[in-house]
Amino acid sequence: MSGKDRISIFPSRMNLTMMKGRLKGAHKGHSLLKKKADALTLRFRAILKKIIDTKLLVGDIMKEASYSLAEAKFAAGDFTQVVLEKVESARTKIRTGKDNVAGVQLPNFEPFSEGVDSNELTGLSRGGQQVAHAREVYGKAVKLLIDLASMQTAFIVLDEAIKVTNRRVNAIEHVIIPRIENTISYITTELDERDREEFYRLKKIQEKKKKLKAAKELELKSLGINEDDAKNILEDNKDEDVIF
Amino acid sequence: MADSEFLFNMDHGYLEGLCRGFRSGILTQGDYLNLVQCETLEDLKLHLQSTDYGTFLQNEPSPLQVATIDDKLREKLVIEFQHLRNHSLAPLSQFMDYITYSYMIDNIILLITGTLHQRAISELLPKCHPLGSFEQMASISIASTPAELYNAVLVDTPLAPFFVECISEQDMDEMNIELIRNTLYKAYLESFYNFCQNIGGATAEVMGQILSFEADRRCFIITINSFGTELSKDDRAKLYPRCGKLYPDGLVKLAKADDYDQVQNVAQYYGEYRNIFDNVGNGPSEKTLEDRFFEHEVKLNVLAFQQQFHFGVFYSWLKLKEQESRNVVWIAECIAQRNRGKIDNYVPIF
Repeated sequence: MSGKDRISIFPSRMNLTMMKGRLKGAHKGHSLLKKKADALTLRFRAILKKIIDTKLLVGDIMKEASYSLAEAKFAAGDFTQVVLEKVESARTKIRTGKDNVAGVQLPNFEPFSEGVDSNELTGLSRGGQQVAHAREVYGKAVKLLIDLASMQTAFIVLDEAIKVTNRRVNAIEHVIIPRIENTISYITTELDERDREEFYRLKKIQEKKKKLKAAKELELKSLGINEDDAKNILEDNKDEDVIF
Repeated sequence: MADSEFLFNMDHGYLEGLCRGFRSGILTQGDYLNLVQCETLEDLKLHLQSTDYGTFLQNEPSPLQVATIDDKLREKLVIEFQHLRNHSLAPLSQFMDYITYSYMIDNIILLITGTLHQRAISELLPKCHPLGSFEQMASISIASTPAELYNAVLVDTPLAPFFVECISEQDMDEMNIELIRNTLYKAYLESFYNFCQNIGGATAEVMGQILSFEADRRCFIITINSFGTELSKDDRAKLYPRCGKLYPDGLVKLAKADDYDQVQNVAQYYGEYRNIFDNVGNGPSEKTLEDRFFEHEVKLNVLAFQQQFHFGVFYSWLKLKEQESRNVVWIAECIAQRNRGKIDNYVPIF
Protein backbone atom coordinates (compact mmCIF):
# COMPACT_ATOMS: atom_id res chain seq x y z
CA MET A 1 0.00 0.00 0.00
CA SER A 2 1.58 3.21 -1.08
CA GLY A 3 1.62 5.92 1.51
CA LYS A 4 0.35 8.45 -0.97
CA ASP A 5 -2.80 6.50 -1.61
CA ARG A 6 -5.83 8.75 -1.58
CA ILE A 7 -9.39 8.81 -2.71
CA SER A 8 -9.81 10.65 -5.97
CA ILE A 9 -12.52 13.23 -5.62
CA PHE A 10 -12.92 16.77 -6.74
CA PRO A 11 -11.15 19.08 -4.28
CA SER A 12 -13.92 21.36 -3.12
CA ARG A 13 -14.79 22.77 0.28
CA MET A 14 -17.87 20.66 0.53
CA ASN A 15 -15.87 17.54 -0.15
CA LEU A 16 -13.41 18.65 2.47
CA THR A 17 -16.09 18.82 5.13
CA MET A 18 -17.40 15.49 3.95
CA MET A 19 -13.94 13.96 4.24
CA LYS A 20 -13.47 15.42 7.68
CA GLY A 21 -16.76 13.84 8.70
CA ARG A 22 -15.61 10.52 7.34
CA LEU A 23 -12.36 10.73 9.23
CA LYS A 24 -14.24 11.28 12.45
CA GLY A 25 -16.47 8.31 11.63
CA ALA A 26 -13.42 6.15 10.91
CA HIS A 27 -11.83 7.04 14.26
CA LYS A 28 -15.04 6.21 16.12
CA GLY A 29 -15.43 2.94 14.24
CA HIS A 30 -11.87 2.03 15.01
CA SER A 31 -12.26 2.56 18.74
CA LEU A 32 -15.56 0.64 18.83
CA LEU A 33 -14.10 -2.30 16.95
CA LYS A 34 -11.09 -2.30 19.21
CA LYS A 35 -13.40 -2.52 22.21
CA LYS A 36 -15.23 -5.43 20.59
CA ALA A 37 -11.96 -7.21 19.86
CA ASP A 38 -10.85 -6.72 23.46
CA ALA A 39 -14.13 -8.09 24.83
CA LEU A 40 -13.93 -11.13 22.55
CA THR A 41 -10.30 -11.79 23.51
CA LEU A 42 -11.21 -11.59 27.19
CA ARG A 43 -13.99 -14.13 26.73
CA PHE A 44 -11.67 -16.29 24.63
CA ARG A 45 -9.08 -16.49 27.36
CA ALA A 46 -11.71 -17.31 29.99
CA ILE A 47 -13.09 -20.13 27.83
CA LEU A 48 -9.58 -21.45 27.19
CA LYS A 49 -8.90 -21.70 30.89
CA LYS A 50 -12.22 -23.45 31.49
CA ILE A 51 -11.55 -25.89 28.65
CA ILE A 52 -8.23 -26.91 30.16
CA ASP A 53 -9.82 -27.48 33.57
CA THR A 54 -12.75 -29.39 32.11
CA LYS A 55 -10.50 -31.64 30.03
CA LEU A 56 -8.55 -32.61 33.14
CA LEU A 57 -11.82 -33.32 34.93
CA VAL A 58 -13.05 -35.44 32.01
CA GLY A 59 -9.86 -37.50 32.17
CA ASP A 60 -10.40 -38.16 35.86
CA ILE A 61 -14.05 -38.94 35.56
CA MET A 62 -13.62 -41.34 32.64
CA LYS A 63 -11.08 -43.19 34.72
CA GLU A 64 -13.54 -43.36 37.59
CA ALA A 65 -16.31 -44.43 35.23
CA SER A 66 -14.35 -47.36 33.76
CA TYR A 67 -13.45 -48.41 37.28
CA SER A 68 -17.07 -48.34 38.39
CA LEU A 69 -17.99 -50.39 35.30
CA ALA A 70 -15.38 -52.98 36.29
CA GLU A 71 -16.81 -53.08 39.81
CA ALA A 72 -20.32 -53.50 38.47
CA LYS A 73 -19.20 -56.34 36.20
CA PHE A 74 -17.55 -58.02 39.18
CA ALA A 75 -20.76 -57.97 41.16
CA ALA A 76 -23.40 -58.38 38.49
CA GLY A 77 -21.77 -60.47 35.80
CA ASP A 78 -21.83 -59.42 32.19
CA PHE A 79 -24.89 -57.18 31.97
CA THR A 80 -23.45 -55.01 29.22
CA GLN A 81 -24.84 -57.07 26.35
CA VAL A 82 -28.42 -56.93 27.55
CA VAL A 83 -28.16 -53.21 28.20
CA LEU A 84 -26.80 -52.59 24.72
CA GLU A 85 -29.57 -54.59 23.11
CA LYS A 86 -32.31 -52.81 25.03
CA VAL A 87 -31.46 -49.32 23.86
CA GLU A 88 -33.95 -47.82 21.41
CA SER A 89 -33.49 -44.07 21.35
CA ALA A 90 -31.29 -41.63 23.14
CA ARG A 91 -32.47 -40.66 26.58
CA THR A 92 -30.21 -37.68 27.07
CA LYS A 93 -30.60 -35.12 24.36
CA ILE A 94 -29.24 -31.61 23.95
CA ARG A 95 -30.86 -28.36 23.04
CA THR A 96 -28.83 -25.65 21.33
CA GLY A 97 -29.18 -22.13 22.62
CA LYS A 98 -27.38 -18.95 21.68
CA ASP A 99 -25.25 -16.71 23.82
CA ASN A 100 -24.50 -13.18 22.72
CA VAL A 101 -21.01 -11.91 23.47
CA ALA A 102 -20.21 -8.47 22.08
CA GLY A 103 -22.42 -9.13 19.11
CA VAL A 104 -21.10 -12.61 18.38
CA GLN A 105 -23.63 -15.46 18.61
CA LEU A 106 -22.06 -18.38 20.48
CA PRO A 107 -23.87 -21.72 20.40
CA ASN A 108 -24.20 -23.56 23.66
CA PHE A 109 -25.59 -27.02 24.44
CA GLU A 110 -27.93 -27.79 27.23
CA PRO A 111 -28.74 -31.39 28.11
CA PHE A 112 -32.21 -32.62 28.91
CA SER A 113 -33.42 -36.13 29.37
CA GLU A 114 -36.61 -37.55 28.05
CA GLY A 115 -38.07 -40.96 27.93
CA VAL A 116 -38.18 -43.74 30.42
CA ASP A 117 -35.12 -45.58 31.58
CA SER A 118 -35.70 -49.04 30.18
CA ASN A 119 -32.63 -50.27 32.02
CA GLU A 120 -33.84 -49.34 35.44
CA LEU A 121 -34.16 -52.90 36.72
CA THR A 122 -30.79 -54.13 35.45
CA GLY A 123 -28.97 -56.07 38.11
CA LEU A 124 -32.12 -56.54 40.13
CA SER A 125 -30.99 -59.88 41.46
CA ARG A 126 -27.32 -59.12 41.82
CA GLY A 127 -25.08 -56.17 41.60
CA GLY A 128 -27.89 -53.65 41.35
CA GLN A 129 -26.17 -51.10 43.55
CA GLN A 130 -22.93 -51.25 41.61
CA VAL A 131 -24.83 -50.93 38.34
CA ALA A 132 -26.67 -47.89 39.67
CA HIS A 133 -23.37 -46.36 40.80
CA ALA A 134 -21.83 -46.98 37.38
CA ARG A 135 -24.88 -45.40 35.75
CA GLU A 136 -24.48 -42.31 37.94
CA VAL A 137 -20.80 -41.87 37.20
CA TYR A 138 -21.28 -42.28 33.46
CA GLY A 139 -24.15 -39.78 33.62
CA LYS A 140 -21.80 -37.26 35.17
CA ALA A 141 -19.23 -38.00 32.51
CA VAL A 142 -21.80 -37.34 29.78
CA LYS A 143 -22.73 -33.99 31.32
CA LEU A 144 -19.09 -32.97 31.48
CA LEU A 145 -18.60 -34.00 27.87
CA ILE A 146 -21.59 -31.87 26.83
CA ASP A 147 -20.09 -28.87 28.65
CA LEU A 148 -16.77 -29.49 26.98
CA ALA A 149 -18.43 -29.69 23.57
CA SER A 150 -20.23 -26.38 24.21
CA MET A 151 -17.01 -24.71 25.17
CA GLN A 152 -15.04 -26.06 22.25
CA THR A 153 -17.59 -24.89 19.68
CA ALA A 154 -17.67 -21.47 21.37
CA PHE A 155 -13.88 -21.46 21.25
CA ILE A 156 -13.81 -22.08 17.51
CA VAL A 157 -16.52 -19.50 16.75
CA LEU A 158 -14.80 -16.90 18.94
CA ASP A 159 -11.49 -17.59 17.27
CA GLU A 160 -13.01 -16.84 13.85
CA ALA A 161 -14.77 -13.74 15.13
CA ILE A 162 -11.60 -12.40 16.76
CA LYS A 163 -9.60 -12.92 13.58
CA VAL A 164 -12.20 -11.08 11.52
CA THR A 165 -12.51 -8.21 14.00
CA ASN A 166 -8.76 -7.78 14.28
CA ARG A 167 -8.43 -7.74 10.54
CA ARG A 168 -11.02 -4.97 10.36
CA VAL A 169 -9.31 -2.98 13.16
CA ASN A 170 -5.99 -3.21 11.40
CA ALA A 171 -7.53 -2.33 8.07
CA ILE A 172 -9.10 0.81 9.49
CA GLU A 173 -5.97 1.78 11.37
CA HIS A 174 -3.47 1.24 8.58
CA VAL A 175 -5.44 1.74 5.40
CA ILE A 176 -8.68 3.65 5.72
CA ILE A 177 -7.55 6.39 8.06
CA PRO A 178 -4.27 7.19 6.28
CA ARG A 179 -6.16 7.25 2.99
CA ILE A 180 -8.70 9.69 4.29
CA GLU A 181 -6.00 11.81 5.87
CA ASN A 182 -4.11 11.89 2.61
CA THR A 183 -7.23 12.91 0.77
CA ILE A 184 -7.88 15.68 3.27
CA SER A 185 -4.37 17.01 2.97
CA TYR A 186 -4.60 16.85 -0.80
CA ILE A 187 -7.85 18.80 -0.79
CA THR A 188 -6.46 21.40 1.59
CA THR A 189 -3.36 21.84 -0.55
CA GLU A 190 -5.48 22.17 -3.67
CA LEU A 191 -7.75 24.67 -2.00
CA ASP A 192 -4.80 26.70 -0.70
CA GLU A 193 -3.25 26.70 -4.11
CA ARG A 194 -6.47 27.86 -5.66
CA ASP A 195 -6.74 30.61 -3.10
CA ARG A 196 -3.22 31.68 -3.88
CA GLU A 197 -3.92 31.62 -7.58
CA GLU A 198 -7.05 33.66 -7.05
CA PHE A 199 -5.16 36.14 -4.91
CA TYR A 200 -2.40 36.43 -7.49
CA ARG A 201 -4.94 36.94 -10.28
CA LEU A 202 -6.69 39.68 -8.42
CA LYS A 203 -3.46 41.36 -7.62
CA LYS A 204 -2.49 41.22 -11.26
CA ILE A 205 -5.80 42.70 -12.28
CA GLN A 206 -5.39 45.52 -9.81
CA GLU A 207 -1.98 46.25 -11.19
CA LYS A 208 -3.32 46.34 -14.67
CA LYS A 209 -6.10 48.64 -13.62
CA LYS A 210 -3.65 50.95 -11.94
CA LYS A 211 -1.55 51.09 -15.07
CA LEU A 212 -4.57 51.80 -17.20
CA LYS A 213 -5.66 54.54 -14.83
CA ALA A 214 -2.21 56.13 -14.82
CA ALA A 215 -2.04 56.04 -18.59
CA LYS A 216 -5.48 57.61 -18.85
CA GLU A 217 -4.58 60.39 -16.48
CA LEU A 218 -1.52 61.14 -18.51
CA GLU A 219 -3.64 61.33 -21.56
CA LEU A 220 -6.15 63.64 -19.99
CA LYS A 221 -3.43 65.87 -18.67
CA SER A 222 -1.91 66.17 -22.08
CA LEU A 223 -5.30 67.26 -23.36
CA GLY A 224 -5.32 70.10 -20.84
CA ILE A 225 -8.10 68.94 -18.66
CA ASN A 226 -7.35 69.51 -15.09
CA GLU A 227 -8.52 66.81 -12.90
CA ASP A 228 -8.42 69.03 -9.90
CA ASP A 229 -11.22 71.30 -11.18
CA ALA A 230 -14.36 70.29 -9.58
CA LYS A 231 -16.92 69.42 -12.00
CA ASN A 232 -20.10 71.27 -12.35
CA ILE A 233 -22.65 68.65 -12.26
CA LEU A 234 -25.40 70.96 -13.50
CA GLU A 235 -23.42 71.94 -16.59
CA ASP A 236 -21.68 68.70 -17.33
CA ASN A 237 -24.17 65.94 -17.92
CA LYS A 238 -21.45 63.51 -18.44
CA ASP A 239 -20.45 61.69 -15.31
CA GLU A 240 -17.47 59.44 -15.26
CA ASP A 241 -18.14 56.00 -13.89
CA VAL A 242 -16.36 55.29 -10.68
CA ILE A 243 -14.12 52.26 -11.09
CA PHE A 244 -12.21 50.74 -8.20
CA MET B 1 -31.71 -93.50 49.45
CA ALA B 2 -29.51 -95.01 52.12
CA ASP B 3 -27.48 -97.14 49.76
CA SER B 4 -26.78 -94.36 47.33
CA GLU B 5 -23.39 -93.89 48.96
CA PHE B 6 -22.33 -97.50 48.35
CA LEU B 7 -23.33 -97.45 44.69
CA PHE B 8 -22.16 -93.93 43.96
CA ASN B 9 -18.68 -94.84 42.72
CA MET B 10 -20.10 -97.23 40.13
CA ASP B 11 -21.57 -94.51 38.01
CA HIS B 12 -20.00 -91.32 39.19
CA GLY B 13 -16.76 -92.14 40.96
CA TYR B 14 -14.43 -91.32 38.09
CA LEU B 15 -16.08 -87.99 37.49
CA GLU B 16 -16.04 -87.09 41.17
CA GLY B 17 -12.33 -87.84 41.20
CA LEU B 18 -11.81 -85.67 38.14
CA CYS B 19 -13.83 -82.87 39.73
CA ARG B 20 -11.77 -83.03 42.90
CA GLY B 21 -8.66 -82.84 40.77
CA PHE B 22 -9.98 -79.67 39.16
CA ARG B 23 -10.83 -78.30 42.57
CA SER B 24 -7.27 -78.64 43.78
CA GLY B 25 -6.17 -76.47 40.89
CA ILE B 26 -8.15 -73.51 42.12
CA LEU B 27 -5.95 -70.51 42.88
CA THR B 28 -4.83 -70.18 46.48
CA GLN B 29 -4.23 -67.11 48.59
CA GLY B 30 -0.54 -67.24 47.68
CA ASP B 31 -1.39 -67.13 43.98
CA TYR B 32 -3.65 -64.13 44.54
CA LEU B 33 -0.91 -62.31 46.46
CA ASN B 34 1.38 -62.84 43.49
CA LEU B 35 -1.22 -61.62 41.03
CA VAL B 36 -2.00 -58.53 43.06
CA GLN B 37 1.64 -57.50 42.88
CA CYS B 38 1.83 -57.60 39.09
CA GLU B 39 2.46 -54.32 37.36
CA THR B 40 1.22 -55.18 33.90
CA LEU B 41 -1.04 -57.72 32.29
CA GLU B 42 1.99 -59.50 30.88
CA ASP B 43 3.19 -60.13 34.43
CA LEU B 44 -0.25 -61.51 35.24
CA LYS B 45 -0.02 -63.89 32.30
CA LEU B 46 3.40 -65.04 33.51
CA HIS B 47 2.12 -65.77 36.99
CA LEU B 48 -0.90 -67.63 35.66
CA GLN B 49 1.43 -69.91 33.73
CA SER B 50 2.72 -71.43 36.94
CA THR B 51 -0.79 -72.32 38.10
CA ASP B 52 -3.25 -74.87 36.81
CA TYR B 53 -4.07 -72.52 33.96
CA GLY B 54 -0.77 -73.09 32.29
CA THR B 55 -0.27 -71.62 28.87
CA PHE B 56 -3.88 -70.81 28.06
CA LEU B 57 -2.97 -67.25 27.09
CA GLN B 58 -0.02 -68.29 25.00
CA ASN B 59 -1.41 -67.61 21.57
CA GLU B 60 -2.94 -64.24 22.23
CA PRO B 61 -1.43 -61.29 20.40
CA SER B 62 0.00 -58.59 22.60
CA PRO B 63 -1.03 -56.12 23.94
CA LEU B 64 -3.13 -58.32 26.15
CA GLN B 65 -6.60 -57.07 27.02
CA VAL B 66 -8.82 -57.80 29.97
CA ALA B 67 -11.69 -58.95 27.76
CA THR B 68 -9.41 -61.58 26.18
CA ILE B 69 -8.41 -62.88 29.60
CA ASP B 70 -12.08 -63.07 30.57
CA ASP B 71 -12.97 -65.00 27.40
CA LYS B 72 -10.12 -67.45 27.78
CA LEU B 73 -10.90 -68.16 31.44
CA ARG B 74 -14.49 -68.88 30.51
CA GLU B 75 -13.44 -71.09 27.59
CA LYS B 76 -11.28 -73.26 29.83
CA LEU B 77 -14.09 -73.62 32.34
CA VAL B 78 -16.60 -74.52 29.63
CA ILE B 79 -14.32 -77.19 28.16
CA GLU B 80 -13.83 -78.82 31.56
CA PHE B 81 -17.53 -78.71 32.40
CA GLN B 82 -18.57 -80.16 29.08
CA HIS B 83 -16.05 -82.95 29.43
CA LEU B 84 -17.61 -83.88 32.76
CA ARG B 85 -21.11 -83.57 31.36
CA ASN B 86 -20.37 -85.74 28.36
CA HIS B 87 -19.13 -88.58 30.51
CA SER B 88 -21.92 -88.43 33.07
CA LEU B 89 -24.84 -90.77 33.62
CA ALA B 90 -28.25 -90.13 35.06
CA PRO B 91 -29.00 -88.71 37.53
CA LEU B 92 -25.72 -86.80 37.41
CA SER B 93 -26.37 -85.79 33.82
CA GLN B 94 -29.75 -84.37 34.78
CA PHE B 95 -28.13 -82.57 37.68
CA MET B 96 -25.56 -80.99 35.41
CA ASP B 97 -28.27 -80.02 32.95
CA TYR B 98 -30.06 -78.24 35.77
CA ILE B 99 -26.90 -76.28 36.40
CA THR B 100 -26.84 -75.13 32.79
CA TYR B 101 -30.44 -73.93 32.88
CA SER B 102 -29.45 -70.74 34.69
CA TYR B 103 -27.14 -69.81 31.81
CA MET B 104 -29.86 -70.72 29.37
CA ILE B 105 -32.19 -68.29 31.08
CA ASP B 106 -29.63 -65.49 30.62
CA ASN B 107 -29.12 -66.41 26.98
CA ILE B 108 -32.85 -66.48 26.27
CA ILE B 109 -33.34 -63.08 27.86
CA LEU B 110 -30.52 -61.69 25.74
CA LEU B 111 -31.95 -63.20 22.57
CA ILE B 112 -35.48 -62.01 23.30
CA THR B 113 -34.25 -58.46 23.93
CA GLY B 114 -32.15 -58.48 20.81
CA THR B 115 -34.89 -59.90 18.63
CA LEU B 116 -37.43 -57.42 19.91
CA HIS B 117 -35.15 -54.62 18.81
CA GLN B 118 -34.49 -56.18 15.45
CA ARG B 119 -30.88 -57.11 15.88
CA ALA B 120 -29.49 -59.82 13.62
CA ILE B 121 -29.36 -63.24 15.20
CA SER B 122 -25.78 -63.69 13.99
CA GLU B 123 -24.73 -60.74 16.14
CA LEU B 124 -26.43 -62.08 19.22
CA LEU B 125 -25.31 -65.71 19.16
CA PRO B 126 -21.61 -65.06 19.93
CA LYS B 127 -22.64 -63.01 22.95
CA CYS B 128 -24.47 -65.92 24.56
CA HIS B 129 -22.89 -67.93 27.33
CA PRO B 130 -21.63 -71.22 25.88
CA LEU B 131 -22.77 -73.28 28.86
CA GLY B 132 -26.31 -72.21 28.21
CA SER B 133 -26.67 -73.04 24.58
CA PHE B 134 -29.52 -75.16 23.34
CA GLU B 135 -30.51 -76.42 19.91
CA GLN B 136 -33.31 -74.03 19.22
CA MET B 137 -31.16 -70.97 19.67
CA ALA B 138 -30.69 -70.14 16.03
CA SER B 139 -34.40 -70.29 15.34
CA ILE B 140 -35.29 -67.53 17.75
CA SER B 141 -35.12 -64.94 15.02
CA ILE B 142 -38.34 -66.12 13.44
CA ALA B 143 -40.41 -64.62 16.21
CA SER B 144 -41.10 -60.95 16.59
CA THR B 145 -42.92 -60.79 19.92
CA PRO B 146 -42.20 -62.66 23.15
CA ALA B 147 -45.53 -64.51 22.96
CA GLU B 148 -44.78 -65.80 19.45
CA LEU B 149 -41.33 -66.70 20.65
CA TYR B 150 -42.74 -68.81 23.42
CA ASN B 151 -45.23 -70.63 21.25
CA ALA B 152 -42.80 -71.35 18.48
CA VAL B 153 -39.49 -71.94 20.12
CA LEU B 154 -39.37 -72.00 23.89
CA VAL B 155 -42.02 -74.64 24.25
CA ASP B 156 -39.53 -77.24 23.08
CA THR B 157 -36.68 -76.21 25.32
CA PRO B 158 -36.09 -77.64 28.77
CA LEU B 159 -37.11 -74.26 30.16
CA ALA B 160 -40.73 -74.61 29.06
CA PRO B 161 -42.01 -75.73 32.46
CA PHE B 162 -40.57 -72.61 34.08
CA PHE B 163 -42.48 -70.41 31.72
CA VAL B 164 -45.70 -72.31 32.25
CA GLU B 165 -45.58 -72.02 36.00
CA CYS B 166 -45.54 -68.32 36.27
CA ILE B 167 -46.03 -66.34 33.11
CA SER B 168 -49.04 -66.15 30.85
CA GLU B 169 -48.95 -65.08 27.23
CA GLN B 170 -49.95 -61.46 27.83
CA ASP B 171 -47.44 -61.14 30.63
CA MET B 172 -44.67 -62.02 28.23
CA ASP B 173 -45.52 -59.11 26.02
CA GLU B 174 -46.04 -56.53 28.70
CA MET B 175 -43.53 -57.42 31.34
CA ASN B 176 -40.21 -55.78 31.65
CA ILE B 177 -37.53 -58.19 30.48
CA GLU B 178 -35.78 -58.14 33.83
CA LEU B 179 -38.98 -59.23 35.53
CA ILE B 180 -39.29 -62.14 33.11
CA ARG B 181 -35.70 -63.09 33.89
CA ASN B 182 -36.25 -63.04 37.63
CA THR B 183 -39.55 -64.90 37.43
CA LEU B 184 -37.92 -67.63 35.34
CA TYR B 185 -35.04 -67.83 37.75
CA LYS B 186 -37.39 -68.22 40.70
CA ALA B 187 -39.16 -71.13 39.01
CA TYR B 188 -35.82 -72.66 38.07
CA LEU B 189 -34.44 -72.41 41.59
CA GLU B 190 -37.49 -74.00 43.17
CA SER B 191 -37.47 -76.79 40.59
CA PHE B 192 -33.75 -77.44 41.14
CA TYR B 193 -34.27 -77.54 44.90
CA ASN B 194 -37.07 -80.10 44.58
CA PHE B 195 -34.95 -82.21 42.22
CA CYS B 196 -32.10 -82.31 44.73
CA GLN B 197 -34.45 -83.22 47.55
CA ASN B 198 -35.77 -86.09 45.44
CA ILE B 199 -32.27 -87.46 44.94
CA GLY B 200 -31.93 -87.57 48.70
CA GLY B 201 -28.89 -88.44 50.78
CA ALA B 202 -25.88 -86.18 50.98
CA THR B 203 -26.79 -84.40 47.77
CA ALA B 204 -30.09 -83.21 49.21
CA GLU B 205 -28.35 -82.00 52.35
CA VAL B 206 -25.51 -80.15 50.70
CA MET B 207 -27.42 -78.73 47.77
CA GLY B 208 -30.35 -77.88 50.00
CA GLN B 209 -28.15 -75.64 52.06
CA ILE B 210 -26.56 -73.97 49.07
CA LEU B 211 -29.78 -73.44 47.15
CA SER B 212 -31.74 -72.14 50.11
CA PHE B 213 -28.99 -69.59 50.72
CA GLU B 214 -29.15 -68.61 47.07
CA ALA B 215 -32.91 -68.17 47.31
CA ASP B 216 -32.69 -66.02 50.44
CA ARG B 217 -29.89 -63.98 48.98
CA ARG B 218 -31.99 -63.23 45.91
CA CYS B 219 -34.90 -62.19 48.11
CA PHE B 220 -32.77 -59.75 50.06
CA ILE B 221 -31.06 -58.26 47.04
CA ILE B 222 -34.21 -57.93 44.97
CA THR B 223 -35.88 -56.15 47.88
CA ILE B 224 -32.99 -53.74 48.39
CA ASN B 225 -32.54 -53.02 44.70
CA SER B 226 -36.22 -52.41 44.11
CA PHE B 227 -36.37 -49.38 46.44
CA GLY B 228 -36.82 -46.30 44.32
CA THR B 229 -37.79 -48.11 41.15
CA GLU B 230 -41.17 -48.63 39.57
CA LEU B 231 -41.40 -52.18 40.87
CA SER B 232 -44.46 -52.52 43.09
CA LYS B 233 -44.43 -54.55 46.29
CA ASP B 234 -46.79 -57.18 44.86
CA ASP B 235 -44.65 -57.70 41.79
CA ARG B 236 -41.65 -57.91 44.00
CA ALA B 237 -43.23 -60.55 46.19
CA LYS B 238 -43.82 -62.67 43.09
CA LEU B 239 -40.09 -62.79 42.47
CA TYR B 240 -39.10 -64.34 45.79
CA PRO B 241 -38.09 -68.00 45.48
CA ARG B 242 -39.76 -70.03 48.19
CA CYS B 243 -37.11 -72.65 48.82
CA GLY B 244 -35.08 -70.74 51.39
CA LYS B 245 -35.14 -70.29 55.13
CA LEU B 246 -37.10 -67.07 54.78
CA TYR B 247 -40.21 -68.87 53.54
CA PRO B 248 -42.93 -68.15 54.66
CA ASP B 249 -42.59 -65.57 57.45
CA GLY B 250 -39.50 -63.77 56.30
CA LEU B 251 -40.87 -63.39 52.79
CA VAL B 252 -44.05 -61.80 54.04
CA LYS B 253 -42.06 -59.30 56.07
CA LEU B 254 -39.71 -58.59 53.19
CA ALA B 255 -42.60 -57.98 50.85
CA LYS B 256 -43.76 -55.20 53.15
CA ALA B 257 -40.34 -53.60 53.65
CA ASP B 258 -39.89 -50.01 52.53
CA ASP B 259 -36.27 -49.27 53.19
CA TYR B 260 -32.95 -50.80 54.02
CA ASP B 261 -33.39 -50.72 57.78
CA GLN B 262 -36.57 -52.77 57.62
CA VAL B 263 -34.76 -55.35 55.51
CA GLN B 264 -32.00 -55.47 58.08
CA ASN B 265 -34.60 -56.04 60.80
CA VAL B 266 -35.92 -59.07 58.93
CA ALA B 267 -32.37 -60.42 58.70
CA GLN B 268 -31.95 -60.15 62.46
CA TYR B 269 -34.30 -63.09 62.93
CA TYR B 270 -31.97 -65.49 61.14
CA GLY B 271 -28.60 -66.28 62.64
CA GLU B 272 -26.42 -66.48 59.55
CA TYR B 273 -27.97 -63.51 57.86
CA ARG B 274 -27.63 -61.30 60.89
CA ASN B 275 -23.85 -61.62 60.67
CA ILE B 276 -23.85 -60.78 57.00
CA PHE B 277 -25.69 -57.53 57.51
CA ASP B 278 -23.27 -56.27 60.14
CA ASN B 279 -20.49 -53.90 59.17
CA VAL B 280 -21.77 -53.32 55.72
CA GLY B 281 -20.97 -50.05 54.01
CA ASN B 282 -19.92 -48.38 50.83
CA GLY B 283 -16.66 -46.82 51.97
CA PRO B 284 -13.27 -47.81 50.59
CA SER B 285 -12.35 -50.19 53.39
CA GLU B 286 -15.78 -51.59 54.08
CA LYS B 287 -17.36 -54.48 52.28
CA THR B 288 -20.65 -54.05 50.52
CA LEU B 289 -23.59 -56.35 51.07
CA GLU B 290 -22.88 -58.08 47.76
CA ASP B 291 -19.32 -58.83 48.80
CA ARG B 292 -20.56 -60.35 52.04
CA PHE B 293 -23.02 -62.56 50.18
CA PHE B 294 -20.26 -63.68 47.81
CA GLU B 295 -18.06 -64.60 50.74
CA HIS B 296 -20.79 -66.63 52.39
CA GLU B 297 -21.55 -68.42 49.12
CA VAL B 298 -17.88 -69.29 48.70
CA LYS B 299 -17.76 -70.62 52.25
CA LEU B 300 -20.77 -72.90 51.64
CA ASN B 301 -19.29 -74.12 48.35
CA VAL B 302 -15.97 -74.95 49.98
CA LEU B 303 -17.77 -76.90 52.70
CA ALA B 304 -19.46 -79.04 50.03
CA PHE B 305 -16.14 -80.72 49.33
CA GLN B 306 -15.94 -82.03 52.88
CA GLN B 307 -18.46 -84.76 52.10
CA GLN B 308 -18.08 -87.48 49.54
CA PHE B 309 -20.46 -89.37 47.26
CA HIS B 310 -22.76 -86.54 46.35
CA PHE B 311 -23.38 -84.32 43.34
CA GLY B 312 -22.85 -81.09 45.18
CA VAL B 313 -19.12 -81.13 44.39
CA PHE B 314 -19.84 -80.50 40.72
CA TYR B 315 -22.05 -77.52 41.41
CA SER B 316 -19.63 -76.10 43.98
CA TRP B 317 -16.63 -76.57 41.74
CA LEU B 318 -18.35 -74.67 38.91
CA LYS B 319 -19.38 -71.80 41.17
CA LEU B 320 -15.93 -71.57 42.75
CA LYS B 321 -14.27 -71.50 39.34
CA GLU B 322 -16.62 -68.75 38.28
CA GLN B 323 -15.77 -66.74 41.38
CA GLU B 324 -12.11 -67.29 40.63
CA SER B 325 -12.59 -66.00 37.07
CA ARG B 326 -14.33 -62.93 38.45
CA ASN B 327 -11.46 -62.39 40.89
CA VAL B 328 -8.79 -62.69 38.22
CA VAL B 329 -10.67 -60.35 35.87
CA TRP B 330 -11.11 -57.83 38.69
CA ILE B 331 -7.39 -57.88 39.50
CA ALA B 332 -6.60 -57.59 35.78
CA GLU B 333 -8.92 -54.56 35.44
CA CYS B 334 -7.33 -52.85 38.44
CA ILE B 335 -3.90 -53.40 36.96
CA ALA B 336 -4.94 -52.32 33.47
CA GLN B 337 -6.64 -49.15 34.70
CA ARG B 338 -3.80 -48.44 37.14
CA ASN B 339 -6.24 -48.01 39.97
CA ARG B 340 -5.05 -50.27 42.72
CA GLY B 341 -7.15 -48.80 45.50
CA LYS B 342 -9.61 -51.65 45.76
CA ILE B 343 -7.51 -54.38 44.23
CA ASP B 344 -7.86 -56.48 47.37
CA ASN B 345 -11.62 -56.64 46.99
CA TYR B 346 -11.51 -60.08 45.41
CA VAL B 347 -13.16 -62.88 47.37
CA PRO B 348 -10.49 -65.29 48.53
CA ILE B 349 -11.45 -68.92 48.17
CA PHE B 350 -8.82 -71.01 49.91
